[in-house]
Amino acid sequence: MNAPAVDLAVALGPLRLANPILTASGTFGYGLEFAHLADLAALGGIVSKGLSVAPIRGNPPPRVCETRGGMLNSIGLQNIGIERFLAEVLPGLERFPPRVIVNLFGVSVDEYVRLAERVDAVSGVAALELNVSCPNVHSGGLEFGQDPEVLCALVRAVRAATGKPIVVKLSPNVTRPAEIGEAAKVGGADILSAINTLLGMAIDPVTRRPRLATVKGGLSGPAIKPVALRVVFDVARQVGLPVIGIGGIETVDDVLEFLLAGASAVQVGTALFRDPTTASRLVGELAARLAADGVGSVRELVGAVRLPA
Amino acid sequence: MLPSDHAAVVERVVEHPLPYFSLLLDAPPGWAELAAGQFVMVRAGDGLAPFLRRAFSVHDASSSPAGARIELLIKAVGPGTRALAGARPGDRLSVLGPLGHGFSLPAEGPVALVAGGIGSAPLYLLGRRLVERGVRFDLFYGGRGRADLPCLERFAALARRSGGRLVATTEDGSAGERGLVTGPFERSLAAGEFRFFYACGPMGLLARLAALSAAHGVAGEAALETAMGCGFGACLGCAVPRPDGRFALCCQDGPVFPFSEVAW
Ligand SMILES: Cc1cc2nc3c(=O)[nH]c(=O)nc-3n(C[C@H](O)[C@H](O)[C@H](O)COP(=O)(O)OP(=O)(O)OC[C@H]3O[C@@H](n4cnc5c(N)ncnc54)[C@H](O)[C@@H]3O)c2cc1C
Ligand SMILES: Cc1cc2nc3c(=O)[nH]c(=O)nc-3n(C[C@H](O)[C@H](O)[C@H](O)COP(=O)(O)O)c2cc1C
Ligand code: FES
Repeated sequence: MNAPAVDLAVALGPLRLANPILTASGTFGYGLEFAHLADLAALGGIVSKGLSVAPIRGNPPPRVCETRGGMLNSIGLQNIGIERFLAEVLPGLERFPPRVIVNLFGVSVDEYVRLAERVDAVSGVAALELNVSCPNVHSGGLEFGQDPEVLCALVRAVRAATGKPIVVKLSPNVTRPAEIGEAAKVGGADILSAINTLLGMAIDPVTRRPRLATVKGGLSGPAIKPVALRVVFDVARQVGLPVIGIGGIETVDDVLEFLLAGASAVQVGTALFRDPTTASRLVGELAARLAADGVGSVRELVGAVRLPA
Repeated sequence: MLPSDHAAVVERVVEHPLPYFSLLLDAPPGWAELAAGQFVMVRAGDGLAPFLRRAFSVHDASSSPAGARIELLIKAVGPGTRALAGARPGDRLSVLGPLGHGFSLPAEGPVALVAGGIGSAPLYLLGRRLVERGVRFDLFYGGRGRADLPCLERFAALARRSGGRLVATTEDGSAGERGLVTGPFERSLAAGEFRFFYACGPMGLLARLAALSAAHGVAGEAALETAMGCGFGACLGCAVPRPDGRFALCCQDGPVFPFSEVAW
């Protein structure tokens, strides 16, 4: 079969991608776990597991549980730290065409700045995604992503530390995500991604115990897609920065919905756990779908939702 | 062997009786050599519930005219396992594997195998591997009642082939010795009958066995079960606490761990 003559390339401000399908932070391991399970080369980009200045050992088990149409997690930001990532993982990822975006978080502005400075000169890093919305750790990013002023100051400090594109990842656990997105824009963000997980909870009715050791955790998967779509729609229209849509994406129809709502690209997360090929497969399916529909460029769809008059 | 996602054909479904059942699946060539203790992640449906894959140990693996055949021994406990119990010959199941590290094989015996209920699943292949190497083993097999000792005769025959024996226990006395499996096992352990032992079962049983391992100075390995998001190292959801305060990943570092490397 010939490749359909469809243009999948997208530009999100300064970040250019061969296609709009990326993998979401924390759902793709460090990337190489998938090298033999999926066609990494097909992807538009890979977002790393959340990385911090020093390694973090994470939360006690149980850390995950299934919910209807999704899952809760409280991994607790376990990661190997930025230095080991750059030394041991990035060289392996650089062998593949997709752009690598590092997902970063810290407990203080200073830590974010140190991370940004560290990756600024690393050629294999295409952009930084700031996790300012992780609901899992008390001392973590929660405050940054919930207060527009705090967030604006954080992004401004990171902006001063790097010339690379900055993606700010928005939390759905606020009343008006677009207001936070606006603050990120003022601080100097290039791109917004949305959404991170929704704070949730599950109880085993037999044992009467919470299913997660931390009691509450982050909800992801198809169950959150309508919420994610609404946030992307609001943020894209109200802030005016390019948006990466995230939340429950599993099928090519899901991708189209996010594009129509205003996303210029998408990240696939939890769906990778049940089918590791989801993201790479969607690249081909998207091209085929656009060709079948006579759409020449994926960019034509961005924000093209037909609203009632 | 690197894991792959295989569209396995269900060759047979055997009820032991329910809630215990076996799925016999075709598998790629090479799977006949799987290490005992390795596992697979199976999709139990395409809908929203069950959503994630379910983890199952490889109960048996052998070569077949088409390549290989694996057997999963499953206890139906919830939506995923109940859906799998409804599989019919000819159905296709998405089976991702082989995953994790299996049991290490001893240079010499005798060794013990300790199974609690459905924890017997990975120990059958282990027993076969031991027989292949000429290592004698005794199998201690405990459950609530006779119905919770699926494949009892098959395990007994395997233990005999190794030169060892099967010791069954039930809490209700419906088969073997009345009581917990740790009773007869500890007596044999204290008598110095084993150089090493292997176990799989509920966490409470494994923790008790870890204490026995330390008390009697006989090392061993346990196959652990944790909640799992992915099974292949991508979600970091399957944390196992280690004695040094850090966490191992059950799916990658395990599911088999030396007793001494887990903070029970
Ligand atoms: C490495 C590994 C190997 C396994 N091997 C086997 C096997 O060979 N045969 C077999 O029958 N089962 C095995 N299990 C357990 C099996 O994965 C679960 O029983 C199954 O996921 C339950 O799914 P469900 O939808 O039927 O029930 P759910 O609704 O998901 O769970 C029903 C009940 O089982 C408990 N449960 C769920 N998952 C697990 C788990 N992973 N470990 C312990 N309890 C759990 C739940 O807390 C709940 O009380 C294994 C698990 C792991 C991690
Ligand atoms: C197990 C797990 C771990 C995650 N870890 C991170 C993380 O480290 N940093 C981050 O920004 N988001 C993390 N996320 C959130 C995802 O990147 C994504 O925003 C969210 O899961 C919604 O997308 P999905 O429904 O496609 O999974 C994690 C999600 C899951 C399920
Ligand atoms: S189950 Fe996902 S990392 Fe082990």
